[in-house]
Amino acid sequence: MFNKKICWFMLILILLVVAGCGPSDSTNTEGTADDATGETDKENSSENAESDGDQTTLTLWHIETGPSKESIEEAVERFEKNNPNVSVDVSQQENDPYKSQLSVAMGGGNPPDVFHSWGGGWLKQFVDSDQVMNITDSVDESLYNEAALSVSTFDGKVYGAPVSMDVVPVFYNKDIFEEYGLEEPETYNDLLEIVETLTDNDITPFALANQTKWTGSFYLMYLAERIGGPELFNEAFERTGRNFDDTAYVEAGKKVQELVEMGAFPEGVNGMNYDTGQSRQMLYTESAAMMTMGGWLVNNVRDEMPEFEDKLGFFLFPSIEGGDGEKNHVVGGVSPVFSVAQQTEHSELAAELVNELASLETATDMSNNAGSISAVNGVEYEDPYIKEMSEVLESSQAMQTYYDQTLPPELAQVHLDTTQALFGLSMEPEQAMAEVEATAKEVLKE
Amino acid sequence: MSRLQEISLDTVHVRKKKKNKDTWVIIGFIAPAFIIYGVYVIYSIFMTFYYSTFDWTGIDANMVFVGLDNYIQLFQDDVFWTSIQNNFLLVIASLLTQLPVGLIMALLLFSPIKGMRLFRSVYFMPFLMSTVAIGILFIFIYEGNYGLLNAILEGIGLESLQTAWIGKESTAIWAVIATVCWQFAPFYMILFRATMVGIPEELYEAADIDGASGWQRFKSITLPLLKPIIITSAILSVIGSLKYFDLIYVMTGGGPNNSTELMATYMYKQTFTNFNMGYGSSISFSMFIIAFIVTVFILLGDRSTRGNG
Repeated sequence: MFNKKICWFMLILILLVVAGCGPSDSTNTEGTADDATGETDKENSSENAESDGDQTTLTLWHIETGPSKESIEEAVERFEKNNPNVSVDVSQQENDPYKSQLSVAMGGGNPPDVFHSWGGGWLKQFVDSDQVMNITDSVDESLYNEAALSVSTFDGKVYGAPVSMDVVPVFYNKDIFEEYGLEEPETYNDLLEIVETLTDNDITPFALANQTKWTGSFYLMYLAERIGGPELFNEAFERTGRNFDDTAYVEAGKKVQELVEMGAFPEGVNGMNYDTGQSRQMLYTESAAMMTMGGWLVNNVRDEMPEFEDKLGFFLFPSIEGGDGEKNHVVGGVSPVFSVAQQTEHSELAAELVNELASLETATDMSNNAGSISAVNGVEYEDPYIKEMSEVLESSQAMQTYYDQTLPPELAQVHLDTTQALFGLSMEPEQAMAEVEATAKEVLKE
Repeated sequence: MSRLQEISLDTVHVRKKKKNKDTWVIIGFIAPAFIIYGVYVIYSIFMTFYYSTFDWTGIDANMVFVGLDNYIQLFQDDVFWTSIQNNFLLVIASLLTQLPVGLIMALLLFSPIKGMRLFRSVYFMPFLMSTVAIGILFIFIYEGNYGLLNAILEGIGLESLQTAWIGKESTAIWAVIATVCWQFAPFYMILFRATMVGIPEELYEAADIDGASGWQRFKSITLPLLKPIIITSAILSVIGSLKYFDLIYVMTGGGPNNSTELMATYMYKQTFTNFNMGYGSSISFSMFIIAFIVTVFILLGDRSTRGNG
């Protein structure tokens, strides 16, 4: 009967829909043989691979671009060569969206086997949620720089292997400095004079794109360190002395606003986006002379405008007269750190992949091509830039890791938001720091 | 039992059987859509409310029941109020610009101007572009130092108006709203145009015979017949504005200093950046309630005007 046919048809449709909506089940080895449509998504293809004998697929999420992306890919190739039965599904993500992407994947129970992080408070959030595998046993700790490994070590357990480190100097355009007879500043007053000379000549002193927020945070971190000394942040973070509303922080906020009022930054910094290259364009077109940025800027330059590299020099953020900080205290961080997800089904292989990604070979490759300092000991630097940078790092007496990656995410967000407001002159420094401190009290209570 | 009764019983039986069969067919047709709707809408709404009663990061198994604490916190949260305010700004701006502009463009497409086919594509273009591309394009247009908009202002001698459009808290939300309207006006243009094509030509002929002017024709024929689609468009526009997310996320990320935060972007930030799934869910659920109330009001208003007419 016709109607009966329709009923059956509907029933089958419903079943299909229900089956499609169900959770993906990797023990389902029925073999999705009728996947001839070519629309096999990542999940399906990995399932297929597993059921077709002993082929295993690992997924890797990273955020590297340009030359460092190639280094990652080469490391993956080496790994695949050593493990012929394993293929690695490499997926490159964009920097800022990556953070939410990963938490969605973790919460949804479908994380990549190996993933990128920056260590610190962000990684710890996942460790606390029991989402990251303890790889202490498979990692050779002696391989790595102590400071670098510390960002992914919690309670003496290692949760990630570092590949590279970065320091944040002030990059500048040598040609412009020469043209106006400027010299690398020793003190903060020297820097203010440079700012004045440049604004008088219609050149924006600092290129900054602060919609991204962490970019502006560099200035606050440096100023706070130069005023309050290297222990300021640690005391506030560990709740053992000064707090986030300490006078040193307020003073740093005031200095940021002073710079803004002097015209040290482009018009509307808070609307410009680092990821779309708006600040770097100002540097390349020589409408801005300096930029406080991590060493990865060299990587960006080589990718985007190689000929600019000749003009690129750097100095360390100068010390402030009467402050407790020193010129050779640097702000820096570790990136990438590779970790294994707790939910992975191939924990041994994934840990092995981490070891390959954080190997001397990858680190050497990345240092020489991408302009980052190795977190793996024993790298011979060919690149003069990196040689210089690594010497800076080695001679520095203190390293301040980025606030936004060291602090727990919620507090980091308040720090970033209030710093952005400082740059927009829409919040008084006292108020901004009081807000950070209020959140710190809430979040950091043990 | 008489024969008559037997027959009538028989027909009742047959009718009943037929009715049964119809029910099954109806269920068969409705069920697939209903199951999808149930899982992705109804179930999700309940789960959102359920999650909103917990203090939960969203990535671990540790959920602490806090009752309605999240909502209490929400009502004291300045950023949430800013975001509601921004959402309503967007609603009003959308209603006041997207619909009229869409209508004007649709009318223009009917005017006997040469090359109208070309303009039809040109007008529709913004809606075809990917939102992210539009966002990045407008970031560069609004740029404060070398942006197109500032260059144009300089070119026509309005230097005094130059500013960093999306970098300033006072102008950022307007800059984004203008972009949203630019993107969505063509959508309503197409809706209106499709309806206008369906208006019978005889009505206009009759009006011509009566000696009606162009404005009279528009006022007495086109507009009344467009009314149902205008109401539908208004609902689409209001609901769309209340849950809007994309361009804000791409262009300002809710900044500077949360001045362009919408409910949806704030929810995203709380949930995925700050790891507050519970709090984020309470924002989502509030969004649902607000959109629901607004829709009910529009529908009630629509019914009452229809009743009067």
